[in-house]
Formats: sequence, structure tokens, C-alpha cells
Amino acid sequence: MATGTRAGRSRVTLVFLLLSSATLLTLDARDFEPLQRAEEALADAISPFRSAADRLFDPVGDAWAGITGYDELEDQNRVLREELQKLEGQRILDSDAAIRLESLLDELGLPYVQDIPNVVAEVVSANVGNFDRYSLQVNRGSGDGIRNGMPVITRGGLVGRIDGDPGRGYSQVTLLTDPGFEVGVLVVGTDDVALASGSGHAEPLMVTKGLEVDTEVAVGDQVVTSGVDRSRYPPGIPIGTVARVDFDEARLLQLLTVEPSANPDNLSFVTVLLYDPLADGP
Amino acid sequence: MSTAGAWLRSGLFLLTALVLHMALFSDLRVFGVAPEVPLAIAVTAGLAGGPERGAVAGFAIGLGIDLYLPTLFGLSAFICTVWGYSAGLLAARIFRSAWWINVLVTALATAAGLLAYAVLGELLGEANLYTDRIYAVMAVAAAYNLVLSLPLLGLWRWSWPGLLGEER
Repeated sequence: MATGTRAGRSRVTLVFLLLSSATLLTLDARDFEPLQRAEEALADAISPFRSAADRLFDPVGDAWAGITGYDELEDQNRVLREELQKLEGQRILDSDAAIRLESLLDELGLPYVQDIPNVVAEVVSANVGNFDRYSLQVNRGSGDGIRNGMPVITRGGLVGRIDGDPGRGYSQVTLLTDPGFEVGVLVVGTDDVALASGSGHAEPLMVTKGLEVDTEVAVGDQVVTSGVDRSRYPPGIPIGTVARVDFDEARLLQLLTVEPSANPDNLSFVTVLLYDPLADGP
Repeated sequence: MSTAGAWLRSGLFLLTALVLHMALFSDLRVFGVAPEVPLAIAVTAGLAGGPERGAVAGFAIGLGIDLYLPTLFGLSAFICTVWGYSAGLLAARIFRSAWWINVLVTALATAAGLLAYAVLGELLGEANLYTDRIYAVMAVAAAYNLVLSLPLLGLWRWSWPGLLGEER
């Protein structure tokens, strides 16, 4: 009898927990604000423990990465040495590109990224699960002025954007390699605003919309954020370099493969631009 | 030990496991895959404490990890609840829990749980869950949890010393 009662109780518990999960799933899918506030409060409550544990176990993670990623590090070193040599050779060309970009932005009357208030944030966790390869978490949040959608950059250029409402002391960043990530771009020296999207981990970005066939684009051209009206990204943030140009004859468009200028892997610090075009609007 | 005391110890254990998962285990990646501590926690809780405790522990750890995942809030909680309960049922009804069976069940349940997570997530509109990489993730995470299962079972026995096996 006792066993039967216990089995009945455990079934009731199961049904209750499953209904609770389903309710949370539904509310979250509908962006139910009180739930998001509760999530933030819970995460904030756990974050001191997490920060302490992060500090404690950082050396272990670093040592593990050193052991398991030794071959990869050697490869990266080799690639970096080659890139350094190329960069030396292209320094003059790069400065030329910078001048072209500067003049283009001047012409359009667009502000520089440097003028935008920003917050430097430390990456506290690249990802905690096995399915979130396109996100990372940083140790700055709403308390630092960070809001949903703000651009996240490094010295190399755009790496992603703030995803979802941040907690007081942390934010989630979606990387530009996420296949769902889209950003309006401009090839430096052209007027066509196009749309670039992520293609997955370690893959280049793809520009598949907006670039007319008669626009002159060549391999090696610089690609930056377009910053068109109400864009969530300010203009002129480097995105990458054109690695390949193809033509979509059916749609009469050019398709670009863009090698990102910022490497979203192994980031330690990022800069969040406190840029909110909707808040600045009339 | 009182039931309240056992649940308190379980709560502390779950909080510690969640923090350790985020601060330590998520960095210990092999081929880019980390151990699936939440699934291991849910399944071993079911194996050690029966279906009800498996479900509750799974729900709690799943909810905790959902706070930090970009996927829908409640998805991990749902999967971990079902897996914790099912492991408890298996342990109670189908086999006597020899240690090697528990270890094997944890590994297989991890692989199946990851697949269920990816499929359910995709059905609910989440992108990039069911990809070419899923089988590699399942294999490595299952191997990882195979190793984690014995210490976790030991820790659950520490959490529920007087209650262990009561539900079987």
C-alpha cells in the first residue's frame, strides 16, 4: 500500500514539474517580462558564487586548454606568424583603406565609433553548454548601462551583440558567427547597403542580399557596418575583408564571402558600445 | 537524518554542482565538448533516490542551467525532469542497481538526453541544436558522464543517507 501511495505521489510530482516546465517554456517564448525579471534576479543571486568559483578554477581551465589545445595553439601560432608577415606587407594598403573609410564616413556625416560611450567587459564564460557555441557571457550588465541589442566589439571589429535583457552584473552576447546573426554592411568605397549573416563556427560571413551586380567589389575590400537609419550598429565598425565574390545571376546580386576581422574565439575582454539608436531618436 | 535536512543537503549539493559546472566543467572540453553535468545529476539522482527525487533534482538543476543558456527557459528543466524520473523508474522496476549498470545507464541516458534536448529544442523553434555535430557531442558527453557517475552517485548517497532506497 505504502509503495502504491509513494508511486502515486511521485507521478503527481512528475506531472506538476512537467507542467511547470511547460508553463515556463510558454512564458519565455512570449517574452513574459515578470519571468525575465525573476530569471535575472535568480542569476544575480547565483553570480557571486559563480564569480568566486571562476576565480578559483580559472587556472585549471587554462591548464586544461593548454594541454588539450597544444596542437591547435601551434597551428594558430604558425597562422599568426604568416598573417603578421602579410600585414607588414599590407600596412601601406591598410592605411589607404583607413583613409578611404574615414573620407567615406566624413562624406556621409557619420559619427566615429570612438565617440560612443562604451564599457569594457571581461568574458566570464565562453559557453556553459554544448549547444551554445555562438554565445558568451560577460561580467557587465544593466547596472553599467548595457541594454539588449548593443554592439560588442574588440580591437579587430564587431564580434556580436548583447542578446536579451542583461542582468545587473552580467550580459549574454550572441556572436556574429551565429547563423541567425544579421548586420547591415557597406563595402568601403561603395554606396550599396547589404546584409551580412553568420554561417557557423569558424566559417566566414556571407553577404547575400543588397549588393547590385554593377557595384565594384574586389577581393580584399574592407567591409564595415552600414549604420543606416535606426540600425542597431553604428557606422564604420570593421566587419572583415572580402575573401570571395560570386554572382547570383537569377537575382542579379553579388554574393560576398567575408573573412571576419575579429576572431570571436578565445576572447578575454570585449567592449560593449552603449549605442541605442532608438533611445537617441526623436 | 530528517527529510528537511536531506533536502537541504541536496539543495547545497545542487547549487555546488551548478556553480562547478559553469566555472570548471564547462572549461574542461574534449573536442569542444564539455561534460553534461545537469543530465548526470538528474540521472544519478533518479538512480540513487528513486523517480520522485530524480525528477525534483532534475527540475532544479535544469532550471539552474537554463538561467545561463540562450535557449528557451525551461527546456533543460523539462528534459532533466523526465530523465531523472525515468532513471528512477528504471532503477526501481527493471534492474537491481549494480554499480556498473548505474554507470552505463548514466552514459546512455546522457546521450539520449542530449538528442531529446536537441530535437525538442528544434521543434520549439530553437536554431542550431540538431546539427551534424550532435552525435559527436553525444558520444563525448556520454563518455564524460560515465566517469562522473560514480562520484555523483556517492554524493547523492551522502545527501540522502537514511532515505536511500526507500522508494525502490
